[in-house]
Amino acid sequence: MIWKTAWKNVWRNRVRSLVVISSVTIGIFAGVFSVALMNGMIEQRVDDALNEEISDIQITDRNFRLSNDPKLIIKEPSKVLSIVHSVNGVEATVERTVITGMANTALKSTGVQITGIDPQKEKKVFTLYKKIIPGTGGYFDDESEHNPIMIGEDLAKELGIIRYYVDTAKIRVLRQEGVPGEITDKLNPVLGMRFTGEKQFVRKMNSIYSAKESKKYGQLIKKAAWTYRKNSRMTLTFLDRNNNQVGAMFRITGIYDIANSVFEKSMVFIRNSDLRRLTSLPDSACHEIIVKITDIEQTVPMTNTLASKLPGEEVLSWKKLQPDLAMMTDMVQQFYLIFGIIILAALAFGIVNTMLMVVLERTKEIGMLTAIGMNKKKVFSMIMLESVFLSIIGGIAGMIVSYIIVRLTAHTGIDLSRYAEGFAALGYSADIYPTITAGFFGIVTVLIIITGILSSIYPAMKALKLNPVEAIRTE
Amino acid sequence: MKVLDIKNVFKIYDESEIKVHAVNGVTLEFQEAEFAAIVGPSGSGKTTLLNLIGGLDTPTSGEIIIDGTNLAKLKSSELIDFRLRNIGFVFQAYNLIPVLTAKENVEFIMSLQKWSKEDRDERTFELLKSVGLGERINSRPSKLSGGQQQRVAVARALASRPKFVLADEPTANLDSRSSTTLLEIMEKLNVEEKITFIFSTHDARVVKMARRIITLEDGKVVSDEPGK
Repeated sequence: MIWKTAWKNVWRNRVRSLVVISSVTIGIFAGVFSVALMNGMIEQRVDDALNEEISDIQITDRNFRLSNDPKLIIKEPSKVLSIVHSVNGVEATVERTVITGMANTALKSTGVQITGIDPQKEKKVFTLYKKIIPGTGGYFDDESEHNPIMIGEDLAKELGIIRYYVDTAKIRVLRQEGVPGEITDKLNPVLGMRFTGEKQFVRKMNSIYSAKESKKYGQLIKKAAWTYRKNSRMTLTFLDRNNNQVGAMFRITGIYDIANSVFEKSMVFIRNSDLRRLTSLPDSACHEIIVKITDIEQTVPMTNTLASKLPGEEVLSWKKLQPDLAMMTDMVQQFYLIFGIIILAALAFGIVNTMLMVVLERTKEIGMLTAIGMNKKKVFSMIMLESVFLSIIGGIAGMIVSYIIVRLTAHTGIDLSRYAEGFAALGYSADIYPTITAGFFGIVTVLIIITGILSSIYPAMKALKLNPVEAIRTE
Repeated sequence: MKVLDIKNVFKIYDESEIKVHAVNGVTLEFQEAEFAAIVGPSGSGKTTLLNLIGGLDTPTSGEIIIDGTNLAKLKSSELIDFRLRNIGFVFQAYNLIPVLTAKENVEFIMSLQKWSKEDRDERTFELLKSVGLGERINSRPSKLSGGQQQRVAVARALASRPKFVLADEPTANLDSRSSTTLLEIMEKLNVEEKITFIFSTHDARVVKMARRIITLEDGKVVSDEPGK
């Protein structure tokens, strides 16, 4: 009967209850969706980092990371590989040679890390081969190619390999894509001009078009003007194992595009065989053995197991290789907690306020209930239940709304390409796919119930202090 | 059988400089199935005396013994439980729970005493039928007239078969016809259920129906005589 009465009491003042429920709904939705958004960003970043950049565990010579000395190769790599494969949970491995050097074109030079890879083996560990921009070539597809190289789009832009160029053919394409004639006509002064950098081109476009036009057609025009001459060439210079400077011409056979701009600008990939030849390293030499494991949750124990089996090498998990990422994944849990407490505290104050009004309005009724024999425990329970009902209804509604929106956006993604440059600089994708776990909904439910109970304590205590004689006399 | 024994009870308010003797040495006894009216002008101490008898207020001195239990000896929580099991209340302003139906209001007190659903249903129907509201069991108080609400309140007061029912000015908000009907119902239940009714009133028509009339003046019993 107490439950029934409390439930009916919730609906006694429908408007007020609906306002409280709505505020709880909005609060919970805001909290859950923000967490889902952050989860999505971080999970995506971790996935990208592990699948495209570093994988789960890396094994190197103990001093290689400190000095980057090409002589510090892994001794007996085949023995190391057989030890690694003897550990349960290892999915695939790949060997890499790594050296730092300079990438040069006629326009510019920049420092890069040159990574030697075995393209076919790499596919078992990394998904970079899926990120080749269509029309820029392939993923080391032609084995007979001499000195092929794969570079990132941002490096290609920096080195002037990708240019921006508008001609009549490109204007035709723009017209076909629905860009009005008055917009394409404004491109006439730049017809035939070549822009070696994206920034210069964007600056020029901004001087031609209004902010509104740039916002509407800027991306389309930039995409159309994007020009890459297939099989462009560049040179790499670096020191070989004997500290002699070596230089070689490479033909760009593929340009990859990933979310991480820093990676794109600094990482170039060539074949292991080419790098070994140019640096005078032995045929089987490698600087890194990359290990992909079946269960990412086992990263730390697997790393420890491999480290104990390979005392002569340095074995590092992705958490050590990219501590910023590890910190982010750990810190975000604390952040969720603080964020959750702030939202729930705000909701709690709203509920306390409402419940105080409820007690004040029902002074006479509560006095009557005490008079006829309803003990303090039951009065307390009734007030508490009303508060919990309000919280739970709002909480469930908030979670349903969150679930629907998260499901929808997890499918379509949230396009924040307006901020793509900023995201890319931090290594994040501008397309965010929010994610949330069932466990998180469970935690939110428990927290909502606790909030409801805590918010009811003060109003319920007020109700218990009422003197039945005075309460009944109250008009 | 004696159900209520009031021995030399005083209630003195001394919040201001002048002491007010709201109840001034009252001694009374009530037997099972009495139908008694406490009358007197406003400020004579009727409500205060009923509050003391009901354990809602504590006397300054004197003893109130209900069925052998001295109320002064009970702790606050025990007193609430004692009221639940032994005393029924009818208030001037009905004081029903507005969100519950007539049936739910009546069975509320039985549910507090953890009666089984079947027993609750049986007793509720029996009482609501007795007070003439057998057809309105699912009506909320807002859909009932004042007289009907007060009849629900009487049914609620009797629900758990208390030792006695205290009714403070039960007809004060009712018209004469409703007042008469209510008193007739109370009297009928008093006979049927053998439960003592003690009610305060200053309505002469109601007083006429009482079988015992106690008159208070300035907190003192000035007369205690049989009624009709």
